[in-house]
This record gives sequence, structure tokens and C-alpha cells, in this order.
Amino acid sequence: MAWYDKDSWLTAALAPTPSTIALTLFVALVLPILVHLFLYRQAAPTALPTFVLVGPSGGGKTALLTLAERKTVAQTHTSTAPLAIEALLPSDVVPASSHYRAPGDPAYERARRFLLLDTPGHGKLRHFATTQLINPTNVRGIIFVVDAASVAEEAGLNEAAEYLHDVLLALQKRYTGAPTSKGPKAIPVLIAANKLDLFTALPPHLVRIQLERAVSTVRKSRAKGLKDSGVALGGEDDGLDQEREWLGEGGEGHFEFQHMEEVGTGVVVKGGNVIGGDGTDVKSWFEWIGAQL
Amino acid sequence: MLDSFEILHTSGVVLWSRSYAPVGAHIINSLIRDVFIEERIVPQPDDAGQRPTYRKEGHTLKWTAAKDLGLIFVAVYQSLVHLTWIDKLLENIRALFIGLYGDQLKKHHTSVVNCDKFGPYFERQIQELEGANDGASSATPNVKLTPPSSADNDSAEESALKPPVLQQQQQPLSDTSADSTPIPTPDTSRPTTPAQSHLLTAKSRPGAKLSRRDKKKVAVGNSAPASSGDEASARRKGKALAKKNRTWTEFGADEEDPSLILDYSQSDLRDDASEAEALEEINPESWGRKTGKGQFVLKDLDDEMDQIIAEQNAKKGVSSQASGIVGSSLGAIGGLFRNVVGGKTLTKEDLAKSLKGMEEHLLQKNVAREAAVRLCESVERDLVGLKTGNFTTIESTIRTSMEKALTKILTPTSSLDLLREIQAVNGSGRPYVLSIVGVNGVGKSTNLSKIAFFLLQNHHRVLIAAADTFRSGAVEQLGVHVRNLKELSKREGGEVDLFQKGYGLDAANIAAEAVTFAAKNNFDVVLIDTAGRRHNDQRLMSSLEKFGKLAKPDKILMVGEALVGTDSVAQARNFNASFGPGRGLDGFVISKCDTVGDMVGTLVSMVHATGIPVVFLGVGQHYADLRGLNVDNVCRLLMS
Repeated sequence: MAWYDKDSWLTAALAPTPSTIALTLFVALVLPILVHLFLYRQAAPTALPTFVLVGPSGGGKTALLTLAERKTVAQTHTSTAPLAIEALLPSDVVPASSHYRAPGDPAYERARRFLLLDTPGHGKLRHFATTQLINPTNVRGIIFVVDAASVAEEAGLNEAAEYLHDVLLALQKRYTGAPTSKGPKAIPVLIAANKLDLFTALPPHLVRIQLERAVSTVRKSRAKGLKDSGVALGGEDDGLDQEREWLGEGGEGHFEFQHMEEVGTGVVVKGGNVIGGDGTDVKSWFEWIGAQL
Repeated sequence: MLDSFEILHTSGVVLWSRSYAPVGAHIINSLIRDVFIEERIVPQPDDAGQRPTYRKEGHTLKWTAAKDLGLIFVAVYQSLVHLTWIDKLLENIRALFIGLYGDQLKKHHTSVVNCDKFGPYFERQIQELEGANDGASSATPNVKLTPPSSADNDSAEESALKPPVLQQQQQPLSDTSADSTPIPTPDTSRPTTPAQSHLLTAKSRPGAKLSRRDKKKVAVGNSAPASSGDEASARRKGKALAKKNRTWTEFGADEEDPSLILDYSQSDLRDDASEAEALEEINPESWGRKTGKGQFVLKDLDDEMDQIIAEQNAKKGVSSQASGIVGSSLGAIGGLFRNVVGGKTLTKEDLAKSLKGMEEHLLQKNVAREAAVRLCESVERDLVGLKTGNFTTIESTIRTSMEKALTKILTPTSSLDLLREIQAVNGSGRPYVLSIVGVNGVGKSTNLSKIAFFLLQNHHRVLIAAADTFRSGAVEQLGVHVRNLKELSKREGGEVDLFQKGYGLDAANIAAEAVTFAAKNNFDVVLIDTAGRRHNDQRLMSSLEKFGKLAKPDKILMVGEALVGTDSVAQARNFNASFGPGRGLDGFVISKCDTVGDMVGTLVSMVHATGIPVVFLGVGQHYADLRGLNVDNVCRLLMS
């Protein structure tokens, strides 16, 4: 039976028979619905404002995350994967955008919700955080959690400062590399000096001074350090003319967090403790989050 | 005995844990760091098909993971105790936990898994496995009865005491008397799968085990305890005492089997009365024989547990042998479709072909075979059981996973800032000592002078020590370098000098003298050049240990050629091991990178063999041709 025969399937498919019409109608009506359902399921609900938790390993990021979610601190270990959770601001903190809303307003409740993204702090796993910084989607702020007790020692301070330097430099690059002159939306940074309940912990203003000093030295030694292997190893040409960027005012002199204001990144240091003998003290951090919402 | 059992999420949140003895959090943290992040210890299955172990501070850790859900199950116990049933426990608990809470785990944007009720399941599993082990090992000397240490003894006792205590706590909470489930002694327990422990002691098995299972089927409550386990017999004695006591008051001298029935009804009566005090009396009794109600509940929990485990295992079985009969053609078409569209659950067979291709690709990039195989294995471990994303093929999934693995390997754990280290060491009032080792002709002296040039540009006072007293012309060669560097650094403000004692003397002594000389003459950095040596020549390598002890270098760098292929792994390993225990290499300098184009596999081989980072790359003939490592770039080159 050739294709041009009367009874062949091709003829049947193109003939105005009821079954063909029914089938065509069915496909025409159902397919869009299926596609819609498929796409609707795929699409993310609504993008909540996100706060990214970064910082060296052992600072207390995951513990803070569990505290924000459950109001109690769960036992945690070293993270190996990022985790995003949906959290609600504590009832005594008012989001800045809804100062004049009544507490019963559903918009008020909605404004208090945010996503908290925890990233691993181990040296080999920081790419989770850095990819998040290069292409931030709805990131309202970065919380750099640091152990205030370990900052008192040279090794801990260096690790924290180097990570902080990289984070701030990524933010600066994002600002200076923006295609428009207005610059992208500012992403403020909160340096959360954790573990203030410990005896050896430095108070927040000392943490600030120490970190500023250490970031200055990191910047200095980076400036003196060797060039990257990128160009030499047959990489792209764009590496050649790409100037290296220095954090803060041209990379000269002493670094202060105030220098970051120029590139739209306010840096504040606030102290607190997630775990502690006499309860937790994270109110100032949540207030900061509330101010960004 | 088991010290602690934890179920944790890869994000670090502990979902459920039970500890019988205090175990520091740092022990599990170091497991995660060493095994999961840095992959320093390769989890290779032992010969007996057992799970890999990790030892730390007298504890042994065994773990299993559920990749797709991001779960890690860790069991911690004293290294001195030999527990054969841990593997089985991990396996069962994983199946149980996923079966019970899998749906909760798939939720987004939450870390909370409501698993408060997991406790009884876990207890039951432990008792079952422990019991099976007890019964089975009656012929062999029981390990638990030979107390290796007092601490262990304590923990053993503790966990032995735990069940009844727990039981009593649970009792007041539950309203039904049925919940006063007698916690089973070894005699009531029944092995779920006899395979594991029975292999060990097949002799002791037939009588005891079979009768027990039969008994279970018939569900006769009052058969005499069949187990001959030591612990069980000990308990029986205690129970017998208690029983005697009570029957005495009821029936006089009657104490054998006839009494049991009456006794049993009576226990029910008392149960109904539900006196808190009576509980204590019933409980020890119910260890041996089962009340009707008690047994019913017990079976319920058991059945549920077995069902979940069987379900999980069946799932695994189906996915592993998906193509069974004639319907395989349909399955194959579906598989092809999924391969294109995504959403396919990856199995070992799916990955095998693509991984082979990836391995070939890596070999072509001059990665040593050993490293390439290990990389592919780690990618396979990473991917088996995962679902491919939408519209991604297996190949692209493997590619991204391999890129991730390479980045993870090459990224250093800690900072490699040489200048800061020098500053810190000089701050303590002594010169920074850096020495360079390597095989003959890889460019030790050349790279040493490049490093010297880099330091001179940063205004350091550098002393170069010629500790190659073997090859003729080596000292003169360094002399030429020093002369050139002096010329170059005049403007920069650095200062460089050569420390040499001619030929034939002991290299270690010269190095030590150079360090003291530098300290006296206010040098900031001492760079020690050593003689090249073949890495598999024991005679030459042995002198390195003395060298390390006398010169006490702050940093030992090994120079490796980018040209070398498979040998790179052995070179890195042997040099790393040659400085004696407690001291190893601190980094690699990979020379001649400009000559290999995109075949930079040597980097990966060396880092993979030792876990030591690459500090510098030599990329040309000039003093300034020294570079740091750009991980992204190297990964791109390797994957291109």
C-alpha cells in the first residue's frame, strides 16, 4: 500500500474525518496546557531577598543559619555543600521597607521573609560563594561570619582577612565592571564577629581594627606578589590588557572599610554570639538584616 | 561498643544523632575535612567488601552516604573494639532513614527534618544486629568479653544498660500498655539478613538460629531461650532470680514451665493496673518471655522496618539492573531519550563509557594514568545515583563534575603567600629558609634564581647556599646567577650573595652553616640549592632526611618538569616521604610549562598524588618568568 492510496495512514491523517479532527483538537487544546503546567512547575515561585553567609570555616555560619530558621541552634559540622533556607525575621525587628505598615498587614509578613544562603568556608570549597558574588541574584547583603576569638591570633586573622579581601574585591569588581555608569545595586557587607561569649574573643571595634590592618597587608603582598599564570599558559588575550584591580583607593596606604563606600559597599562590624552560656545574642545582626529588607 | 551515631546533611547540619559516650565534634569534622573535602584518604573498599574506615584519636569512624539527598551517616566507635555489624547497621539505617524521611529531605529552603521518632527504630536495629552477632559469635571468643581498656568496659556497660532505662522513660509517655514492649534480649531478636554475621561463624549457627526463627513464625511465647550467647546467659541468670522470687509468693515451690502461663497472665493484670513500681518488676521478666501484647507491637515495628529496608533495597536492585527482559528495547529507547532530555538516574554502566572517554582525554593531557583513574573514580562516586538535570547529557554532566573535581584538587587549602610568611618569620628574628629539591635536570638552580629575583624585587636580602657539592660546575653556575642577579637588583635595592664551600663536602652541613651565617649577617632569606637525585635511589634519597633535620627549612619546594608523564606521581610521593616522619614537601614548582602547551597534566598528577599545592610555575627562560597558579585557567586547558 503506497502512501497515495485512499486507505493509507497519510491520507487518513490529512482527510477531514471526525477522528482526525478530534485528535487534532485534542492535541491543540491539551498541549498548551501541558506546556504551561510544565513551565509553571519549573519556574521559581518568587525571588525572596537573599543574604549570603560567607566566612572562614568554623566561624559559625551553619549554626547561625539553624538559629535563624528554628530559633534554636542545632549541632553542626563542617559544611561541604551550600544550603539555602527560608527564614523569618524575629518579631521584634521591623523591616526597613515596611516601617509604616501595621503588623497584621500580609505585606508586612511577606516583607519579613528572606532567604539565607550558607556557603562552605573551607579553602577548597569557596567557589560556591564566589560564583554567588560574581552573579548575584537578588542578593541584598553579605554576612561575613568570623570567629572573634580566632581573629586574635595571627593564623586565624590572616585566613579571615584573605577571604574578606577576596569578597570585597569581588564586590568592587562588580561595581567598577558594571556596564552602566549608575552602577549595580549596592550589596552591603556585615562582618558578624561571632563567639563573643568566649573569654579570648576581641570586642567588635577591635575586630574591625585588626581586620582592616590585616586586609591592608594582604593587599600589599598581593600587589608585590607574582602574576597569575593565566596569560603565560596560552590563555586568552584579554588577560594582557586587563589591569589588575586593587582594593580600596588605588591600593595605596592603609585600608579602611570606609573606602568601600565609594564602590557602593557599606561595611559594618557587629558583635554577637550564636551559642553561649547565657543565651544567644544575635539581635544586632537581625536588625542589620531588617534594615536591608 | 558504639560511641556515637550521627546522620548529617552535607551542609553541616546534624539531622539526628545518638551518642553513648562523649565524642568531640572535631573528630567528625576532621573526617569531613580529610575524606570528603581534601580527599587525602582515598575511601577504597577493603578486600572483604567492607566499608572504608577512618581513624582519629583512638576512634574508628565508618560512614556511608546518600548522595542524591546529601546525607552522611557516620558511626563512631573505639578503635580497640571490633564491631562486625557496623556495616550492616549503616546500610540498614540509611535505608530506614531515607524510607521514612526521604520526602522531607527533598524540600527546598529548609534544613529541618522532623525525625524525633527515629530513636526507637535505631535502638531496635542496634539490638537486632548486636543480638545476631552475639548469637553467632558464641563459638568464637566473644570480643566484648575481653575488655581492652577500662574506658571501653564502661561504654560497653553503659550501652548494655541503656535499653531498659530508655524503655522506662518511654512508658509514661505512651498511653497504651502495649508500648511497654519488652526490649529484646538476644533471644528474642531475629536476624533480618543472616548473611553477614553468619559467614564468620557458620558452625554455631544451625541449632540456635533455626529454632529461633521457627519459634518466631509460630509465635509461641514461652519457648526456652535458645541462645547460648554469654551475655544472654548472664542475663538469664539475673532474670531467673527475679522470677523465682515472685513465683515463690504465688505458688510455693512451683517454679518450672507450668508457672509461666500463670505468670504471664498475671503480668498482664499488673500491666493493666499500671503501677509505676510494678513496671520495674515486669520489665526484667519480659526480657525472657514475651507478653502477647508486647510481642505484637514489637513485631509491628520490626515488620515496618523490614518492609522499608526491603523496599529501599528493591529500588536499588531495580535501578541497577534496569534492563531485564524483552522490554529492554523500550527501556533503551527511553534511556536514549532521557540521555538527551535529562532526568535520568545515573548508574555505573551509564557512566562507564563516557568515563572511559574522559580518562583517555586526561591521559592525552599528560595526566598520569593513576591520577586519571582516581579522578574518574571520584567523579563516578560523585555521580552514581544522581539524576541528570534537564536537557543535559551524561557527557556534559561528567564534564562539569570533572571540572569541579579538578578545581577542588588544585585549589590550595591554605594561603600560599610567600612574602607574608617571610615577614612573619623575620619578625621572630631569624632568616627564612627555603630549600629546593628535585630530580636531575628539572631546573632546580634556574627556578631557585627566579625565586631569588622575585624576592630581590621585594627588597629582601637573599643568601643563596650552594649545597650541590656533587655535580661539577654546579657552584659556578650559581655564581653566574648571583652575579647576574646582583646587576639586576642594584636599582631595586635588594641584596644577594652566594654561600659556597666548594665540592665534596656534606650538603646538610653546608646548609646548616649557611643558615647560621645568614642569621649572623642579617640576611632575610636563605635559598638552598640541592643536588639532583633520582627519586627511586634509596641511597641518594636517604641523605635528604639528615638535610631536613640540620637545615630546618621553613619551606621545602620540589621542582617537577611539566614534561614528565606517569613518573610524576612516583617522584612526588618519594620526595614527599623522604624527609622522615612529620616532615614533607610544602609545595611544587612546575618548570618548563611553556614547552607543553595545553598538556599541563603533570600539575594534576603531582597534586593528586600528595595533596600538596603547586606554588609556582616556571613559564620561560627569563628571571621574571615565574608565575603563581591560576586554577581556572589550568582547568580550562585540561578540559579543552
